[in-house]
Amino acid sequence: MVDETSGSNTAMAWLTEHGDYLFRYALMRLRDEEQARDAVQETLLAAWRANAGFRGDSSVRTWLVGILKHKITDQIRKQIRDRRLSEDMESDPTSSYFNPAGGWASPPGEWRGNPEQLARDSQFRKTLMMCISRLPDMQKEVFSLRELAGEDSETICKACHITTTNLHVIMHRARMALRACLEEHWFNEEQS
Amino acid sequence: MKSSCQQVSKLVSDAHERQLTLGERLRLRMHLAICDLCRAYARDIRLLKSICGLLEKSAVDDSTCLSEADRARIREALLAAGKKDKNISP
Repeated sequence: MVDETSGSNTAMAWLTEHGDYLFRYALMRLRDEEQARDAVQETLLAAWRANAGFRGDSSVRTWLVGILKHKITDQIRKQIRDRRLSEDMESDPTSSYFNPAGGWASPPGEWRGNPEQLARDSQFRKTLMMCISRLPDMQKEVFSLRELAGEDSETICKACHITTTNLHVIMHRARMALRACLEEHWFNEEQS
Repeated sequence: MKSSCQQVSKLVSDAHERQLTLGERLRLRMHLAICDLCRAYARDIRLLKSICGLLEKSAVDDSTCLSEADRARIREALLAAGKKDKNISP
């Protein structure tokens, strides 16, 4: 069925047609150009080797993105393992957002804006990525896997060696910090 | 028992992660009914969630591209793999 000699040609064609898309997809989740490029390369290699497995019941791009997602999760898992990342569960960084009585230290503002518009706004995306990159390592990886790579919690817990309870704590901390960062760097600036 | 905003903020996040218990749902609802600040927080978090959801579905179209050098390296890797795996000349 699969013409062997056309193998690398096919992969070259995928690179030409979908390379930039895959790269952007990976970059948004990994935030590192080198890692994103590697993920694209590995995806194309894996796709080409598994070419016979492509049944054409989805578009080539969807199929490639499916493979890329696995590569991204692998990269993040490797990051966590190699850099021995972990989250301190003893001290609670979110307490700095509250006064001793448990009330808000600085009141959260009510954001104006519609999600479609903001998601399309490249300046906003840049601000969001900047805020994500400022998160502590573990929160950064977990938040990216959960919200940007759309991984289910079981996969994340396995990849990061954490319990479900820890996952929820980490997501809470990440959301708290991200919200404050976005408020400072986007929503307050915009509305002032 | 009266919940503090600090406790409620965790429930606001957890609600996006798991099914809250009946007691938690009640506490959350009762608190949000009387607290403007936590309501604003919950709305901000929901907005953040939906923006990420939209970003998750796609690589947003912008000017970021693979550089020519990146392309060349990937092309080379594909060719090298082609030679190794299937003995195809480049």
